[in-house]
Amino acid sequence: MEEITVQDTIICRCEEVMLSEIINQLESGSETTKELKLKTRAGMGMCQGRTCRPLLEQAVSFHTSNAIPCVSDLTYNTPIRPLALGELARYGKDL
Amino acid sequence: MEIADAVIIGGGVIGTSIAYRLADICDKVVVVEKGEVGAQTSGSCDKAIILQSKKPGFPSKLAQASRAIYENLEDELGIPFEFKKAGGMIVIQSPEHLQFMKQFVEDQNKAGIDVKLLDRKEALEKQPCFSPHIVGSTYSREDAEVNPLLLSQAFAKASRQKGADIKTHTKVLDITCEHGRVKGVQTDKGYIATEWVINAAGPFAPAIAEMVGVELTIKPRRGVILITEKIKPIVHGNILCAQYIAAKHLTDNKGTEVPPFGIGLSLGQTKSGNLLIGGSREFVGFDKSINANILSSIAAHASQIVPSLKTVQIIRSMVGFRPYTGDGLPIIDKVPEVEGFLIAAGHEGDGIALAPITGYLVRELIERSGRHKELLEPLKLERFK
Repeated sequence: MEEITVQDTIICRCEEVMLSEIINQLESGSETTKELKLKTRAGMGMCQGRTCRPLLEQAVSFHTSNAIPCVSDLTYNTPIRPLALGELARYGKDL
Repeated sequence: MEIADAVIIGGGVIGTSIAYRLADICDKVVVVEKGEVGAQTSGSCDKAIILQSKKPGFPSKLAQASRAIYENLEDELGIPFEFKKAGGMIVIQSPEHLQFMKQFVEDQNKAGIDVKLLDRKEALEKQPCFSPHIVGSTYSREDAEVNPLLLSQAFAKASRQKGADIKTHTKVLDITCEHGRVKGVQTDKGYIATEWVINAAGPFAPAIAEMVGVELTIKPRRGVILITEKIKPIVHGNILCAQYIAAKHLTDNKGTEVPPFGIGLSLGQTKSGNLLIGGSREFVGFDKSINANILSSIAAHASQIVPSLKTVQIIRSMVGFRPYTGDGLPIIDKVPEVEGFLIAAGHEGDGIALAPITGYLVRELIERSGRHKELLEPLKLERFK
């Protein structure tokens, strides 16, 4: 019977990034969530890291032995929720 | 104490491109980057390598020299970065811009750039997403695109393979000089003795130059870009608008109105399907906070040109600071007062387009083989004195 090794798991659902990819990057020198994002696209999808940001922070903290920062180094950008471009364009007309 | 032949300050697309070329002539090249590779200016930009928007003359000649290197760069580095010869268009929305663009295309053709003018029907055939209200557009098949995030990573990785040491999360605190000569770089993680220091810090280059008492007049010019959800391919190649080209090249003309927030379209779609919709151009220092008016103006302008964008979801905005010199060209030169101190900064919005040639030009400044003289001459620091 084949031996069951460590099970891989999804970290970023939007961009389909697996834990193994994150660990790979951490083992080859990445030190921050921002670096992981730039290299794997984790956190760059539709939800902009709302789901995976805490998971990425845990992974970095585990590998670097640094505490999880109070303020994430993955910046939050407007709009904070997806918004249709037409809606955004209309906003200006009300001003 | 660490010893290096050359220390490059800044690990963006310019710094890593320089590292890659210097690794051929130096035993030890060190890049010092305060954050992550390509995470600032080089990671907050669009992906276009557009030749036809450059000023006919020296700027287009420099861009062509850099574009030629791109032709085989993926093979040379051995790392793909989504280089694609997808072409580019400058869309003309109003009849007032048509006359200017006719002249512009003529000048570009004289400068050896392959670009032509399309009428409305031809433009819509090439780019069915355009509004039927446009007047026409230009088209050049020489325009290309890359994934800028992958490009900086590729230069960094290829440099490491040649023996360069790229120190991320390392901050430069001071540069030591003795008798008008560079001696070394003090970082928060240790001292590196070196004979050459290359200031490739983009918009942050003035703060680095100040460490050796040199004044640089590079200013941060803020640009905002909208990013959409992934959608099926609707945009072919990269698109700019004539309003922006007119504002960029006709700044002296009183008749040209500069749009609010310096809005001008830059539109492209990444391989993964996200649209990058730019953008604004403003001088507000290093202020990253943006208000909804800017985002709304970019959205409104883009939806006039490509109406189907209205239903596409914007997932985020991106703010970057482009290093602005004032004459649309970077500074790539030795600083005469401080031996061993070089500047390769100020590429503004052309950093991606000009990164490949910048690596070669800096190598030439150190090697002094007599090559690229005609390209280096107009990039001298003294033009601002």
